[in-house]
Amino acid sequence: MLTVAASRTTTTGWLLRAVVSAHAVAIAGQPVFAGMYLTGDYAGLRLHAAGADAVTSIGCLQAIVAIAVWIRLRQAWPFLATAAVVAAETVQYFAGLDGALWLHLPLGVMTVVAVVVQFIDVWRRPLLRQGADNA
Amino acid sequence: MRNSRGVTRRRALGIGGALGLMAATGLTSAAALARRPSLTGAQLRSDLPLPLPFQVPLPVPAVLTPVGTSGGADRYEITQREASVEILPGVTTPMWTYDGTFPGPTIESRRGRPVTVSHRNELPVPTVVHLHGGRTPAASDGYPTDLLLPAGRQEHSMHVEHGSGHMGRGSGHMEHGSGHGMHDPRAVVSELTRDYTFPLDQRPALLWYHDHRMDFTAPAIWRGLAGLHIVRDDAEDALGLPAGPRELPLMIADRAFAADGGLAYPALDPTLRVRPGVREPYLAGVLGDVILVNGAPWPVHEVDAARHRLRILNASNARHYELEAVTGDGRRLDLVQVGADQGLLAAPVVHTLFPIAPAERYDVVVDFSGVPIGGLVRVVNRLGSGRTRDVMAFRVARKAADDSRIPRALSADLPAWRRSDAVRVRDFAFRAGQTHAGHGWLIGGLPFDPARTDVTTRLGDVEVWRLVADVHHPVHLHLVGFRVLSRSGRQPLPHDAGLKDTVSLRPGEAVEIITRFDGYRGRYLFHCHNAEHEDMGMMANLEIV
Repeated sequence: MLTVAASRTTTTGWLLRAVVSAHAVAIAGQPVFAGMYLTGDYAGLRLHAAGADAVTSIGCLQAIVAIAVWIRLRQAWPFLATAAVVAAETVQYFAGLDGALWLHLPLGVMTVVAVVVQFIDVWRRPLLRQGADNA
Repeated sequence: MRNSRGVTRRRALGIGGALGLMAATGLTSAAALARRPSLTGAQLRSDLPLPLPFQVPLPVPAVLTPVGTSGGADRYEITQREASVEILPGVTTPMWTYDGTFPGPTIESRRGRPVTVSHRNELPVPTVVHLHGGRTPAASDGYPTDLLLPAGRQEHSMHVEHGSGHMGRGSGHMEHGSGHGMHDPRAVVSELTRDYTFPLDQRPALLWYHDHRMDFTAPAIWRGLAGLHIVRDDAEDALGLPAGPRELPLMIADRAFAADGGLAYPALDPTLRVRPGVREPYLAGVLGDVILVNGAPWPVHEVDAARHRLRILNASNARHYELEAVTGDGRRLDLVQVGADQGLLAAPVVHTLFPIAPAERYDVVVDFSGVPIGGLVRVVNRLGSGRTRDVMAFRVARKAADDSRIPRALSADLPAWRRSDAVRVRDFAFRAGQTHAGHGWLIGGLPFDPARTDVTTRLGDVEVWRLVADVHHPVHLHLVGFRVLSRSGRQPLPHDAGLKDTVSLRPGEAVEIITRFDGYRGRYLFHCHNAEHEDMGMMANLEIV
């Protein structure tokens, strides 16, 4: 049985939308700063490094929110996807520090794609309590 | 439960799986296709059977005798000429040489005692001599358009160059004024002989001299125009570092050989007179498959079981090395670095492995006393693969007394520039791009133009330069030594110690350097010392006023 209330995104759902949106904005800056840096703007390096810190921090925050979504909305998918993204971002962070560009570039593109897909996923439909119809 | 949600879930799993597969395929292809470790350049393959490693004895270039020593200065004469040299055993290789040998003769000099070298050009092309690492007045610094023409070769011989439309077109033909080429009204052109005067008022160091002609530096060095120049002083002599036969200059260079024994090189213009550049696959740099040390392929040198001072120069056009000394039982010997490009460090730095980019020098002491008599110590290039992994070897031949030492303090005269001393900070990007001749290499978005001043600074000014690279770029400043302040925003690496004149930027890396532009006023250069990059635009003018 579907209730009217359950068709609206919950507060936890909104939190996930907010943090995924912030994540998408932050990660979109990374290739921009990398481009600045590689064309010789030394400030781009600092921005890219600060951006990496920001993206990684937001990623961890998103993982916490995704756990809340899992518990309160009984949806595991956001957490599993976030865990994969956070793992990729961690590898990405150290690949960047290490200068392992063969890994840093493709993994960077994939991470951006993954966050964009998550962004679409959380905004595409209301975030409902899973199994509410079985209740 | 086969409702619409189940289908959605299956589809979601399908999409997720497909994305995961794409990601995994992408990353494994990146891992498989990318060069790890990264390497800038393409390797030529020799068309001759190559000798086994560690068969040929290590030659040590002869020290040149001055023709005059009067008036507190030494005078030398060097003839640049074609010569047939035996590099590979039993194979004759025609080369361009300084005095008929490769490497050219070594010049030994004392700090503050001026040296004049009179070069005579008997080669079929114009030349330019640059003393790399020398604190030299601009007139003798070997600016690329300050040509030394061979006898009877007037400047019209270079006239045809106009057709190729290369940006940094040279120079010596200002009389023509046809308007196509890039003119350099400041070029000082000589014919047949030219005196280069080096005050050598500088820290003791291993310098090297090599050709620096506009557009054709890389093939000229490849063909053999390189030699060593050592500056010494009393303070260094008094340190007690290994000396005499236990001090060895090692000029490492890679080459490739054609079937006829000649050196292979992918020049667009085999005469090396008209059209600059290399064939497209080699734009990133030309690598050889034979590693020469002092002109011998994978040589071996018999040593006492004692400390030796190795003064290592990477004279390769584009090849980087990571060197280590490995004993027969796989042990890596300590390589105690005592000096960098511009002479002694403040204190020794211990490595077991260090990288060396084109034109960099490392002064290291290695102790063979722990190696069993008869044992072989291989110098291995960790960036090489197959035959290019070997460099040379030392055969420990006999026990011997050793009174050498490595003092804890090596020098106290290193400049102590601080960031706060800098009056200016400049940023330069070293990257691939378009020149008028097509694909090339740019500094700050521009290909080299002798007529454009890129940097103007005042004599005595301290500046911080921030250099950013796309691929490997060993960046060299003429006239001055510098210190490395940071690498990619972090602390410099252990091998960045001391005073340098060439700093190796790895792909995507940024380096901050600090220097003081003192010594002499005039027009100098800074450039990438990947010699192919240098010829294809990656140079810029530095005007000290």
